[in-house]
Amino acid sequence: MKRKLLVPLFALLLAVGTTATAFAHGARVAYTINMTVEIQATYDTGEPLAGGQVTVYAPDDPSTPWLTGVCDEEGRFTFTPDPSLPGTWDVQVRQSGHGDIVHIPIGEGMAVTGGGGFTTLQIVLMGACVVWGFAGTALFFARKPAPSPRPEPAEGYRKESA
Amino acid sequence: MHIPDGILPAAVCAAGYATTGAATWVSLRKINQQADPRAGIPKASLLTSAFFVASWIHVPVPPTSAHLVLNGLLGATLGYYAFPAILIGLFFQAVMFQHGGLTTLGVNATMMGVPALLSYYIFRLRGLVDQENRVWTAVFGFVAGAVGLGVAALIAMVLLITTIPAHLDVEAERASIYALTTAHVPLMLIEGLFTALVVLFLQRVKPELLEQG
Repeated sequence: MKRKLLVPLFALLLAVGTTATAFAHGARVAYTINMTVEIQATYDTGEPLAGGQVTVYAPDDPSTPWLTGVCDEEGRFTFTPDPSLPGTWDVQVRQSGHGDIVHIPIGEGMAVTGGGGFTTLQIVLMGACVVWGFAGTALFFARKPAPSPRPEPAEGYRKESA
Repeated sequence: MHIPDGILPAAVCAAGYATTGAATWVSLRKINQQADPRAGIPKASLLTSAFFVASWIHVPVPPTSAHLVLNGLLGATLGYYAFPAILIGLFFQAVMFQHGGLTTLGVNATMMGVPALLSYYIFRLRGLVDQENRVWTAVFGFVAGAVGLGVAALIAMVLLITTIPAHLDVEAERASIYALTTAHVPLMLIEGLFTALVVLFLQRVKPELLEQG
């Protein structure tokens, strides 16, 4: 009885062993994502900040530059942030005292694109609102003092009440 | 010209706020000493809006471009109102368009506002020759407009050159700062001409606007 059982058990073991060796010949594909961040720096006029100096600050040390570089002719610059440092990466682009800082979240809450300014329509609308505010202020202070709706009480009346 | 956030060290930003506070105090005191302190507000408010919009007008000066500032014009026409006007204009530029910045508001206001007061004194010098003469009004208007902008550009240059962080390519940055400052020379002529035209116009249509302040 016992021997009868041993045969299929051995066969099973053999089959498993063969498949295990077959797995050892298989290919395995591992992956790591190397994120590349591309930034583009332009002036308000739309002109690129060609040759602008780029400073990248890692989230763990916002005061020491992690990487420095220079924008190309189109104001573009690419870098690969260290995936082991999730958080907000700060990238500053500067040329002749002009420039901007962009905050790029890496890891959680990552966005595919970010930064950028307002559209021309938004700018015109916002500018118009502020100008209207200034014009309103000017009109308010330029108005002639309106005649008092109630006439001043007569001298005698004021003396009596006092 | 408008220095944005993150360019200057914190000590410079703090010093900028200190000088702006002092200049605002002096200006408001002088305004308060006038017979009617509110009389100049409509004019100041309108010129603040002109100042606010002017920075969108770019003048291409190869290889870079500069924008109008009009601080000399504000100084010549507004007198002591010019400083608060510039401060308010800069505040709105920083808040609405990130043009300049809130940490550098003090530095920028000093950089443009103090030369504006200088322009005011230059323009007032025309009283020494002949206040009614249109030619002298134009000449002093031109000098006031040009000098106001030129001094502001020089202050900006000195501030930027002396505070370049060591991790940058200092030579390249310095060269581009010089290029930008040089670009303000043609702009000085433009603003000088513009200021001369405005003061001539005011002298013809409403000369009392130039008398006060």
